Amino acid sequence: MKITTTDVEKRYGDVVALDGPSFTIPSGSTFGVLGTNGAGKTTLFELLVGHDRPDAGTIDVGGLDVERAGHAVRERVGFLPEHTGFPGSLTGREVLSIHARIRGLDGRSERIEECLELVGLADAADRRVEGYSNGMGRRLGLAAALLARPPVLVLDEPTAGLDPRGVATFHGIVERVGRESETTVVLSSHVLSEVERLCDEVAILHDGRLEAAGTVGELRARHGEPTVVLFPSGDREPLLEAVGGRGTVTETDGRIEVTCSSAEALALCREVDPALVERFEVREAGLEAAFHEAITGGVEGDHQHADRPAVEGVAR
Amino acid sequence: MTAPSREGGTVPDDGGSPRPDGGYETGFGHRIGDGSGSARRQLAVVAETEYRLAVRSRWAVALTVVFAAFALGLTTFSGSEVSPEGFDRVVASLAVLAVYLVPLVALAFGYDAVVGREESGWLNALFALPVPRATVVLGSYLGRAVVLAASVVVGFGLAGWFLVREHGLAGFETYVGFLLAVVGLALSFLAIAVALSAVASEKTHALGGALLVWAWFVLVHDLLALGLIAAFSPSETAVTALLLSNPTGVFRALVLGSLGAAGDAGFAAVLTEAGLSTGALAVALCLWIAVPVALAALLIRRRTL
Repeated sequence: MKITTTDVEKRYGDVVALDGPSFTIPSGSTFGVLGTNGAGKTTLFELLVGHDRPDAGTIDVGGLDVERAGHAVRERVGFLPEHTGFPGSLTGREVLSIHARIRGLDGRSERIEECLELVGLADAADRRVEGYSNGMGRRLGLAAALLARPPVLVLDEPTAGLDPRGVATFHGIVERVGRESETTVVLSSHVLSEVERLCDEVAILHDGRLEAAGTVGELRARHGEPTVVLFPSGDREPLLEAVGGRGTVTETDGRIEVTCSSAEALALCREVDPALVERFEVREAGLEAAFHEAITGGVEGDHQHADRPAVEGVAR
Repeated sequence: MTAPSREGGTVPDDGGSPRPDGGYETGFGHRIGDGSGSARRQLAVVAETEYRLAVRSRWAVALTVVFAAFALGLTTFSGSEVSPEGFDRVVASLAVLAVYLVPLVALAFGYDAVVGREESGWLNALFALPVPRATVVLGSYLGRAVVLAASVVVGFGLAGWFLVREHGLAGFETYVGFLLAVVGLALSFLAIAVALSAVASEKTHALGGALLVWAWFVLVHDLLALGLIAAFSPSETAVTALLLSNPTGVFRALVLGSLGAAGDAGFAAVLTEAGLSTGALAVALCLWIAVPVALAALLIRRRTL
């Protein structure tokens, strides 16, 4: 089920939460929404499920305008809010039974067991939710969202606060849902590696504006530039002269890092005098580099923590 | 091709098509039930959940114990004579107790019905489902109303059983009337609490509002109204309007009317003299239930989570 946002605006007093982002989420894809705190991700999701109304613009879910047909949209969307909670005195199975019956399913449906099994809560299904860990609570929320096999699954920071094992479990479930069904999955996250792993396409929000959108590869190519890391064999000055005016040059721990276009990086690797370098690495741009560039409008700071070596060479 | 949806929108091609059983089959083989349960079914689910939560949190037991303890204590130690007059005096005393106790307990039981559920994250989960917000509020009210009404009936019913043992069945009908009036009083203040809860942004605000409501209706309103009547001698209609603008006043008039005795001084005595029928008073108390719940159902639509 395709989702389209068009010029969506939302203000809370003087604060602009969303400033006209427009993008399309293809049917059956897994789509990531990236952004810093306050970028507008949660506001976008709340508008998407009809919790709130946009001041301007439209959100269309499978041909339905969310503002005019919020009820019908919620029939088609499974939503895991960022802050969700269940009454502690209910058991996991009871929570799912309530969700099922409100959605018009049988409260003892086999689907409840399937979902409990899918999220790994079958053994804890009859325990009270107050005894659940944070990760179990999030998985129960995911089970509730999946219960009616919705064509659209919206997950707002689904792995926030989970331990590494919980994150891995969650990733596995989302990947399985994406693989085994035509569900359109929309998720937000602060964890770029998570988005890189799970998502086909990404939108980057900053201060409510859409700064970039496309596949992870496209964003890397468009916004992230590779970095050539040179390890001087001796005097640094000749090497710096050889680098010339290519890209952005930084010196860190005796290394010289040159962030430039792919073509310039290739040329630099070919042209640099092997006598001047002990070895060199070319680090491919990661999504984090693309993210930083998209929200700052250019390369700021260093990308060293974001990048990983793609090519390595030894001069001698 | 498109087909009309329940909200006047259209169900598009990739949105799937309705099933003969009322279910909904998407173009990808997704089965999403009948989209949402019928409104009545959804209301019953929310109400049942709220009832279950109240019972499990021991609110039901606590309410019953409080009502029973006060009512039995008053009945036991009121020193009533074994005569119909003594029976009426005990019921009048119970009515005074109810005026102070029942609104306080009902407000305490209901102030977090909406805002508390929001703070716990449960409201977020419910509002993401295809259920109208008004249904969630109404269901929450009904679930709690059943618990509160049952606690009133059992708690004050124990005192009634004690009275029947003392005085025989002569005053049984009167006591049933009193019991119904207490239930009405409790439900009206529960409705006010739910309305407060629907507009409050935090639980503490709702609690503060509930205490102010209690102080206004139980402590201040009658005194102020009596002062106004004494100072300005308003028309009979104005007096009636003043009297009906307080559910505790309506309750006292109902009970006093059924007892036929001015066992309770103050504003309710004026109301009794105003000659409003029991039916009119009962309708007024029902309005004190319906209007706040309707307001809560309307206001919840504007609530931003």
